Amino acid sequence: MTRVEKVDIVIVGSGAAGSVFAAKLAQSGKSVVILEAGPERTLKNLYSSQIWARRLKWAGPPTETEGPDPVSVAFNSGWGTGGAAVHHYANWLRLHPEDFEMQSRFGRGSDWPISYDELRPFYDRIQREVGISGDARAEVWRPAGEPYPMPPLPVFAQAQLIAQGFSQLGLRTAPVPMAINSVVYNGRAACANDGWCDAGCTLGALANPLVLHLPQALAAGATIHHHSYVTRVLTNTKGDRARGVEYYDAKGQRHIQEADVVVLAAFTVQNPRILLNSATARHPNGLANSSGVVGRYIMAHSTANVFGLFKEETENFMGRTGGQLLSQESYVKDPHKGYVGGSQWLIGNALKPNDLLGIANSRPELFGNALHEFLATASQHLATMTFVGEKLPSSDDRLALSEKKDPYGFPLARITHAFGPDAIKCFEAGIKEGQTIFRAAGAYDVWVSTRARMHLMGGVIMGRDARMSVTNSYGQTHDAGNLFIAGSSLFPTGGAVNPTFSIYALALRSAEYLLAHWGGLTSS
Amino acid sequence: MDSPRESIHNSLTRRDLLLRMGGGLVAITVSSMWGEISPAQARARGTALRTLSAAQGRTLEALGGVLLPGAREAGIAHYVDDQLRRDNPLFLLKYMDYVDSYTTFYAEGLRSLERQSSVRYRQSFRALSREQQEELVRALSRNSPQGWNGPPAPLFYFVTRNDAIDVVYGTPEGFDKLNFPYMGHIRPPERW
Repeated sequence: MTRVEKVDIVIVGSGAAGSVFAAKLAQSGKSVVILEAGPERTLKNLYSSQIWARRLKWAGPPTETEGPDPVSVAFNSGWGTGGAAVHHYANWLRLHPEDFEMQSRFGRGSDWPISYDELRPFYDRIQREVGISGDARAEVWRPAGEPYPMPPLPVFAQAQLIAQGFSQLGLRTAPVPMAINSVVYNGRAACANDGWCDAGCTLGALANPLVLHLPQALAAGATIHHHSYVTRVLTNTKGDRARGVEYYDAKGQRHIQEADVVVLAAFTVQNPRILLNSATARHPNGLANSSGVVGRYIMAHSTANVFGLFKEETENFMGRTGGQLLSQESYVKDPHKGYVGGSQWLIGNALKPNDLLGIANSRPELFGNALHEFLATASQHLATMTFVGEKLPSSDDRLALSEKKDPYGFPLARITHAFGPDAIKCFEAGIKEGQTIFRAAGAYDVWVSTRARMHLMGGVIMGRDARMSVTNSYGQTHDAGNLFIAGSSLFPTGGAVNPTFSIYALALRSAEYLLAHWGGLTSS
Repeated sequence: MDSPRESIHNSLTRRDLLLRMGGGLVAITVSSMWGEISPAQARARGTALRTLSAAQGRTLEALGGVLLPGAREAGIAHYVDDQLRRDNPLFLLKYMDYVDSYTTFYAEGLRSLERQSSVRYRQSFRALSREQQEELVRALSRNSPQGWNGPPAPLFYFVTRNDAIDVVYGTPEGFDKLNFPYMGHIRPPERW
């Protein structure tokens, strides 16, 4: 075992949240070490292949997933510099004001400890810093905020065709706001619209940690260690302060990295797993878990794709993986609908023939020559849009420790997850609507994929009441003042929008809080 | 207005174009005594499998040929065999949150496939008529039949079907067969 030099702050994870913390703290003169479980990556080794892209997904110890609607961990997680944000689709949407007040307004879930208005300035600042392409005026559902700094990305045949169906039914669409450059922005290239987002954008047009906050952090003196797999947060004798983390390197050697402040930004699975594995006699149920809430309220959005074949060529190879147009006509949570929950459509996702979300898997029951024939047709004429549906949090949806162990003897994570009645009704209403839209658009064959899970949230939720949450609104744990959590783990509710924009905004807010209160937080 | 095919070419810089042309070389490779070659080349040259047994390889080839004609010749067995030796394998099984050994997944799945074939038809899966093979594969795609001891049969079907799709259509050559523009940026310069 080696004990390396103590630093001001150690950050576990180099993804969206961790990279923001690293940049802001390093730029303020703090000594920063980032521990990344996966290998080093740069733009130069993001190769254009859906097969190769699987290397960007989690390759560490697996997670057991169970329940009626098991979450998808490996596909949603990252492995290597930049974490999951390297392969994210960059649909950057704001949560709506009501998403922060689900308990107050609807008696469901928990309220966030902050309002939309409190987070809005950070959405606006990150938006300027990173760059978002979109048309705020066309997004009639959009919460208040500054207009986007770049014009929207282009819309190709696939989305144009589907939009006709929305229009026929009196439903509105708008360009999806994306953290992808429609024009050169802050020295980064514009998007080529060739649909390789999932494989990592080598052009640097898609905002991810490799082109944004990690270079800033490293330029300001931060250090990143790869192949550094964190197993536990270590605490002082009283158990009320973090003193660093334990990690293992690629050779299996154990190290201790001491720090004044510890930030866990290791995604929705590893954040609670590390806390639970950090149990000691002082905190036998896991660190920062006096509430018993660590690991609970894991959430995923419900999702499915509506598919349709059109007589026209859809040119579905053009655009971005995350889609081209957006509709949030069903985002409003109106209990009169028969359920509580919102949803959105991401319209016209750029496709490839293979991979989990590829053309061939739109009809998983086909094989043999029928599959060849389908691919020949669908590669020219298939169109699709993606449903994103809200799931209300439940304490029964939880991450617990498994009987199985990782190579270092620490229990794996086991996640149980189920969609409740509201989520299922919301999903069914959406899918019915989606098929109607495709028929109105002129598709001659329409079908829907099975219900799946996308995005991972919760597990270390924030809240005002220390008896019912793990952290305050800054991600600072109630039990250990110098231990912070970052990322979508903090979300008490998840709305129905892609989480990354909110992750960035929260991380910026937390990093600034940390700096503003540094003296008080680091004095033991 | 330009079509997307025209407009993307009009907007490309020379550097972009060179990158894209380089991307056209992206392929799946397997390690062999001849260096990095495609799975199809590995099969054609009779490269020995190193993780799967020869019998398992023959069954996987037969299954691949049913799932997507051409997968056998494209080297599905050599692709899977090679990936099973990698620290971070690339087959779709990786996305399935499968916690047990990947090698066991294929070994048990193939063994169970042969056992089902034996129980139903008293023949090896490789020796069945195409109609019988398709009937069995269709059944496995829906449920794990009685006596199936491997990974869930629908999961085994889904994963191996995707292996077949990857080797036939996951490369620039595969995209070309569908007249589907590849538009790649960077080709892998390393063993993968």
